[in-house]
Amino acid sequence: MIRALACCLLAAAALAVSVAVPTAYAAVGGLPTAIGHADSSPEWERLREKMFGTRTIDAASGRVQLLVPLRAAYGASVPVRIVSKLPQTASLYVKRLYIVVDKNPSPVAAVFDLTTEMGQADIETRLRVDEYSHVRVIAELSNGELHTDSRYVKVSGGCSAPPNRDQLHNIGKTLLKLPEGVKMNAPTPVDLQVVHPNDTGFELNNVTVMFIPPHFVRSIKVTYADRKIFDADLDFSIAENPAFRFNFVPHGAGELKAEVEDSKEGHYVGRLNVQPSD
Amino acid sequence: MGPVCPHPNPPPQAREGTDLPPDIDLPPMQAAAITDLPAPRRGRGLGWGRVTLAAAAILLCAAAFARAASAAGIPADYSPMVIEPKVKDGRTEFDLTAAQGRAKREHKRLYVYLGAIDCPYCRLYETFLRENAHELTQEFARDYLIVDLRSSLSVKASMLYFRVGAESLDYKAFMERIGDERARLLVYPSVWLFSPELKPLMQMPAGTGTFQTVPEQLEILQLVQ
Repeated sequence: MIRALACCLLAAAALAVSVAVPTAYAAVGGLPTAIGHADSSPEWERLREKMFGTRTIDAASGRVQLLVPLRAAYGASVPVRIVSKLPQTASLYVKRLYIVVDKNPSPVAAVFDLTTEMGQADIETRLRVDEYSHVRVIAELSNGELHTDSRYVKVSGGCSAPPNRDQLHNIGKTLLKLPEGVKMNAPTPVDLQVVHPNDTGFELNNVTVMFIPPHFVRSIKVTYADRKIFDADLDFSIAENPAFRFNFVPHGAGELKAEVEDSKEGHYVGRLNVQPSD
Repeated sequence: MGPVCPHPNPPPQAREGTDLPPDIDLPPMQAAAITDLPAPRRGRGLGWGRVTLAAAAILLCAAAFARAASAAGIPADYSPMVIEPKVKDGRTEFDLTAAQGRAKREHKRLYVYLGAIDCPYCRLYETFLRENAHELTQEFARDYLIVDLRSSLSVKASMLYFRVGAESLDYKAFMERIGDERARLLVYPSVWLFSPELKPLMQMPAGTGTFQTVPEQLEILQLVQ
C-alpha cells in the first residue's frame, strides 16, 4: 500500500508540477521575428560568394519580384511566384533565374536557363522550406546584370514532412496544360506537373522507421516545336509533385514537350499538341 | 490520413468510442495506484502518518486532474465561445451556426480554434495565450469572436464534420469548399480566420507554432501576409 501511495504521490506530484509550471515546456515560438524581407543571412553571404563572386546584385531595381506568403499552409509546399518586369526580347532578357532558400539543407532549389521563347519570364512553383528562412530569386540578364528580390518566410519542417506516397504507381507522369488556352504570338501560360515524391532523404518511413532515400526530379527541359523554352536544374527543395507555371509564345501548331530526369536516372516525357484554335 | 499533432513523441490516442471530451489518459502506474487504493479497514488503527500521506496523495491527484481538465481549451480570459461536438455514428460534428450568427450580430470576425484534449501542442498554444493574456485579450476582443472547438486526437479527418445551417461537411470537403490548402492533412491545433459570412480571411498555416510569440500572434490578428 505504501508503495502504491508513493507511486501515486510521485506521479501526482509530477503531473501537478508539469501542469503548474508550464514554462518547463515553453518552446513557444522563440524564433527571430524582427527580420526584414530584404535582410541578408550568413548562409546567403557564403552562397552568394560561391555563386556570384564579387559581382554586384541589385536589390532595388524592381526588375524581378518574388511573391511568397509570410506563412504557408505547409512547409513542404510553399507557393512561390516570380514576376519579371522585363519582357523577353532579343536585345535584353532574363537569361537565368536562381531560387535560393537560405536555410534549407540544399539551398539552391532551382536554376532556370531561360530563352526569349518564353515571352515573359514569370514562373510559379512550390518549395520545401525547412525552417524560418529567406527565400530569394536572383535574375541574371542577358547583359550580365544581376537583380534580386527576397522574402522572409515563417514555416518549418518542409524537408522532413510526412511524405504523401499514394501516387507512386504514377511516378514520372508528366502533365502539360494550357489553363488560359492558346494566345497566338503572345505569352501563353502553361501548367506543368510531374507526379513524383521528390523525396529529400530527410523523411522518415513511419512503418520501417528508416529514412526514405533521396529521390527527386533533377532536371526538366521544355521545348515547343523543338525550340527550347527553358531548362531547369532542380533539387529536393522543390515540393513533391513538382509543379510549374510558365509562359511560352506559340507561333503556330507544334508540340509542347517536357523531358524530365530524376536522381535515379528515371526519364519521363510529357507532350501536348498545341493548335492555334485551342 | 489521420490527424497530426506536430509532436516528436505523439501522446497516446484518446479512447475510441467514447463521447468527448474523453478522460485524460493517465500513466498506467498512476491509474492503477488510484484504483488499487484499499478502503480503510474498520477496527484497526490506521497510523496518522499513513492517513496524512493518503490524504495528500488524493488531494494532489484531484488537484492535478482539476488543473489538467481546466487547462484544456482557450483560456477563459479570452471569453471564448466553447462548442462541444455532437458525437454520433462515428461522426464528431461541430455546429458553427450559432457562432456565425453571433459574429454577424456583433460585427466581428471569427477566430476558430480546433484543439484536442490530448494534444501537447494544443496545451502549448493555450499556455502561451494564458501567459500573455494581458497583452492579447484586448487585441482579440476588438475584432474577433473566439470559437473554441474541443476535439480529440482520435477524431480523424474523415470523422470530423462542420455544420453551418442545414449543411454538414466532413473536414476535407469543408476545407475544399473554403479553398483552404490544409485539406490534405488534419493537424491539431488548427486555426481559421473567417469573416462573419464565414469567408476565410487568410490562408492559415498548419498548427500554431509560427505564431506563438506576441508579435506573431498580432501579425495573425492583423492579417499580415
